[in-house]
Amino acid sequence: MADVALSGSALNQPRLARRMGGDAGIAWLLALPAILAYLAMILLPLLAVLALAFTDYEFGARSFHWIGLANFADMLSDRTFAASIRNTVIYCLFVAPLSIGIALGLAVLIEAGSRGKALYRAVFFLPVVSLTVAMATAWQYLLHPSIGPVNALLRMVGAGTPNWLGSSDWVIVSLGFIGVWENVGFNLVLFLAGLTAIPRELYAASEIDGARSGWSKFWLVTWPMLGPTMLFVIIITMTRSIRVFDTVQTLTQGGPNNASEVLLRTIYQEGFHYFKFGYSAAITLVFLVIVLGLMLIQTRLIDRRVHYG
Amino acid sequence: MSGIVIEGVQKSFGMTSVLRGVSLTVAHDEFLSLVGPSGCGKTTLLRIIAGLEAVSAGTVQIAGREVTALRAADRDVAMVFQNYALYPHLTVRQNIGVPLVMRRLSAVERIPVVGRLLPGVATKRCQISADVVTAAEMLGIGALLERKPAQLSGGQRQRVALGRAIVRHPHAFLMDEPLSNLDAALRVTTRAEIVALHRRVGASTVYVTHDQSEAMTMSDRVAVMMDGQILQVGTPEAIYTNPQDLRVASFIGSPSINTFAAEIGPDGEVMIGSVSSGLGSTGTGPAILAIRPENIAPAETGIAARVDHLEYLGESLLVHARLLEGDELVICRLPPEARQQLRRGEMIRLRPDPAKALLFDGAGRRRPAQVRIRDVVHG
Repeated sequence: MADVALSGSALNQPRLARRMGGDAGIAWLLALPAILAYLAMILLPLLAVLALAFTDYEFGARSFHWIGLANFADMLSDRTFAASIRNTVIYCLFVAPLSIGIALGLAVLIEAGSRGKALYRAVFFLPVVSLTVAMATAWQYLLHPSIGPVNALLRMVGAGTPNWLGSSDWVIVSLGFIGVWENVGFNLVLFLAGLTAIPRELYAASEIDGARSGWSKFWLVTWPMLGPTMLFVIIITMTRSIRVFDTVQTLTQGGPNNASEVLLRTIYQEGFHYFKFGYSAAITLVFLVIVLGLMLIQTRLIDRRVHYG
Repeated sequence: MSGIVIEGVQKSFGMTSVLRGVSLTVAHDEFLSLVGPSGCGKTTLLRIIAGLEAVSAGTVQIAGREVTALRAADRDVAMVFQNYALYPHLTVRQNIGVPLVMRRLSAVERIPVVGRLLPGVATKRCQISADVVTAAEMLGIGALLERKPAQLSGGQRQRVALGRAIVRHPHAFLMDEPLSNLDAALRVTTRAEIVALHRRVGASTVYVTHDQSEAMTMSDRVAVMMDGQILQVGTPEAIYTNPQDLRVASFIGSPSINTFAAEIGPDGEVMIGSVSSGLGSTGTGPAILAIRPENIAPAETGIAARVDHLEYLGESLLVHARLLEGDELVICRLPPEARQQLRRGEMIRLRPDPAKALLFDGAGRRRPAQVRIRDVVHG
């Protein structure tokens, strides 16, 4: 469309086109606002972070020095950083599979049901639209070791009552559950949209072809047809869970004893608490490399298998 | 061995009644078309035969077996869908093989990689592969086996859908407007191929279409459906020359059949206005006389009309004329040479061939009639 419109106007105004250097010139001119915005908003800050990562710049300092890879070398011996990497990985491996699996199961059930689709969708989507920071208060109460309803329930059945957010054994699992609760609704809506897009005729065809059980129809039709949605959901959930910050900051502040320290909070602490901008930028760089690497692996591995068009 | 027997099938969606008591028998190895305007319930009837819809009342038998309560997977039917419904993630080979894989392998044996290690699975897979190749060769798509549906043309996809249907040798083939997504030229050639395929495979085939030319050219018998009922079932010739209902007469044939408001006089003479039709009937009162365009022609005497428009088709000439009384449009099909004798605006007299005229009562039901006066119409 754009090409057609472009060449059409160029034909009508040959002089303008010639002055602008032909079609290509006009194309660049039209793209200029977007290019400028991209440069100013994304590329330049990214380059600044990239540059800062190799300096010892501290906020408010009058000068800085290029220190090469020293920041990265520091990371290797930084126990807080090591803990935050480990915790982030555990958190992701906990939240992503659970929230994707639960959302997929719920979506298939809701889609198969005859009534209440809108209600279920709204109920499960609620955590996504509610403010995490505000909801954290509710979780704080629910998971409180002595007055929390969760432990009250556990006491009633005679089970142990762990200090969910206060013990270093449980804290990352507790945060993970909250993460699952946050992400299920989001993934559910994506899966529901994906399910709606599957042609009904394919299910009819699979029935005729001898797929008797819902299980075999799921593997013959639903699962492969959800491929593109699944790829998107995996990428989104992974990046969302790598970026976990607000629940950690409001509920545990990374504690106890760094047991819930996560990557984004470490960046925040180093940059805005200790004002070590250089070091913070270096961790940000590591964070970016991890996110980009994940996406690359996922798109390379899965993309080829899920798009049939 | 009997084919498909449908008795008193009714279907309603909520308050809407879609099928109102349909009974139909399709012989083993017969090709029957269900034809009718959109919304007449023909696709619903097909889906009921397939087992994709449940009946509200009535029974369905396939190959002598009552299947009304059975689900589609257990009915031993194959279906070709309008949009082909191929699995986009599977190759042509896998698509055609699905019905065999689902039936010959158990759920455990179907598990990827692991399933292949189970005893006997390799042999079964081998046999499936051979059957798929046989079906594909029969349809001339043997070279496309490793492609995905997205890499195929419309005609090729249609063949894959046919392949998936025939690979299992089912008792019945159900086809839901399988040609409607093809271009006009391909549609005509594929028509003949489907008929040839039906003869080779030889199972009851129910073919749903809204295109009367498909129904007429392909079928052993045609069932004309309207408003959730089958109006008439018969050979294409019977449906065309001997329709039992005015709606059937009007739906089949192109250009559409001409109708005249007629009156049966006290002596049994069927009159169109003041002109005798040459037809006699019992009873008196208003009636409708219907005549195909090729059975009405200009003559010395007859119904007065003015030539409105001439359509030269090469092998014939269509004359559109307006009756002086009532201004109704009549179309006659004449030999192409008649073009020289007719001018637009010219006054002519039209005479229906009484031997070919059809008489219907006010409700559109066929009435018996016989030729009263032998008259030479065609010169």
